[in-house]
Amino acid sequence: MMTTATRNITLPAEWRDFWALTKPRVMSLVVFTALCGLLAAPGNIHPVIGFTAILCIALGAGACGALNQWYEVDVDAKMARTSKRPLPAGRMDPEAALHFGIGLAAFSVGIMGVAVNWISAALLAFSIFFYAVVYTIWLKPNTPQNIVIGGAAGAFPPVIGWAAVTGDVTLLPVLLFSIIFLWTPPHFWALALFMKTDYGAAGIPMLPNVAGQRVTRNQIFAYSFPMAAVAIAPFLLGESGWLYGVTSALLNLVFLALAFNVWRNEANEAKDMKPEKQLFAFSILYLFLLFALFAFDRILFA
Amino acid sequence: MTQPEQTGFTVEETRIIRQRQAARSRIMGVVLVALCVLFFMITVAKIGVWG
Repeated sequence: MMTTATRNITLPAEWRDFWALTKPRVMSLVVFTALCGLLAAPGNIHPVIGFTAILCIALGAGACGALNQWYEVDVDAKMARTSKRPLPAGRMDPEAALHFGIGLAAFSVGIMGVAVNWISAALLAFSIFFYAVVYTIWLKPNTPQNIVIGGAAGAFPPVIGWAAVTGDVTLLPVLLFSIIFLWTPPHFWALALFMKTDYGAAGIPMLPNVAGQRVTRNQIFAYSFPMAAVAIAPFLLGESGWLYGVTSALLNLVFLALAFNVWRNEANEAKDMKPEKQLFAFSILYLFLLFALFAFDRILFA
Repeated sequence: MTQPEQTGFTVEETRIIRQRQAARSRIMGVVLVALCVLFFMITVAKIGVWG
C-alpha cells in the first residue's frame, strides 16, 4: 500500500516484500536445524523426499514469519529494528500478508503429509499453530516468559526433520528439541538486554523490562547450565561419537564463560553491554556448529 | 482485469503497477514450473521407478 499526501492508493506489493515477510534469516536457522535432524536420523530417505521435507519446513517457517508480521504490524512500527518491514513501512496490504501466510501454511503441511508422512505433517502443523497463535498472539504480548515457552516453536524443526525419515519421535529428537528450547532464553534475553529500549517502546513485556536487568542476567546464566547438560547428553547416552562429545564440551565451555561475563556485567546502557552482544553473536554460531557437528558425527559413526 | 487507468491512477502509478505485476507474474511462473518438476520427481520417487 502506498500513501500519497492527498489520497490512499493501494499498489501491488513487490515480490521482494513477500520474500521479506518470510523472515529469510530466521528461516535459514530453521532449515539448517531441520536438515541436521533429518541427516542424524537412522534409516534412509529418498533425496527427493528429503528435499521436499526440508522445503515444507522452510515454507512452514515462512508462514510463521508472515502470520507473525501480519499480527504484529502495530508493534513492529514502534521498534527501530522492525519498522522497515513491508507492513509497518506501508509497502503491503495486510490482507495480502494474511492470505500469503495461511496459504504457505496450508500448502507446506499438505505437501508434507502427501509426499513425506503425516506424522511430520502433524508436527509441522502444530509448530506453525504454536508459533502463530500460542506465541505471537497469546504469550508474547502478555508474559515475560514469552520466549521460554514460545521457544518450543523454534525447537520443532529438527524433530520434524527426524520424523520425516523415521515416521516417529524417539529420545534423540527430544534431546535436539530440548537443546534449542533451553538455548532460546539466554539467546533472546541477551538481545533483549541491549534492545531493552526498543522492546519497552513497543510495550512487549520482555524480562529486562518487567523484572530488571539483574534478574535477566541471573536467568541467562542459570539457563546456560541445563542447556549445556542437554547438549552433551547425546554423547553421555552413547548416541554420538567422540567428535561431537569433545567439540560440544568445548562449545558449551565457551558459552558458559560468555554467560558468566554477562552475569558479572552491571551495565545499564546498551553501549556498555559488550558481554551481552558477544553472547548473542556466539549463541547463533554455537547452535549452527553444535547441530552441524552432531549430524556429521552421526553420519560418520552411527 | 480492471485497468489501472479506470481506477484513477496516474501514469506513473500505472507504470509501477504494470512493472510489479510483470515481476510477480514472472516469479509465479518460475514457482509453478518448479512445483511441476518437484511433483513429477516426488511421484517418481514414490513409485520407485529410479530406485
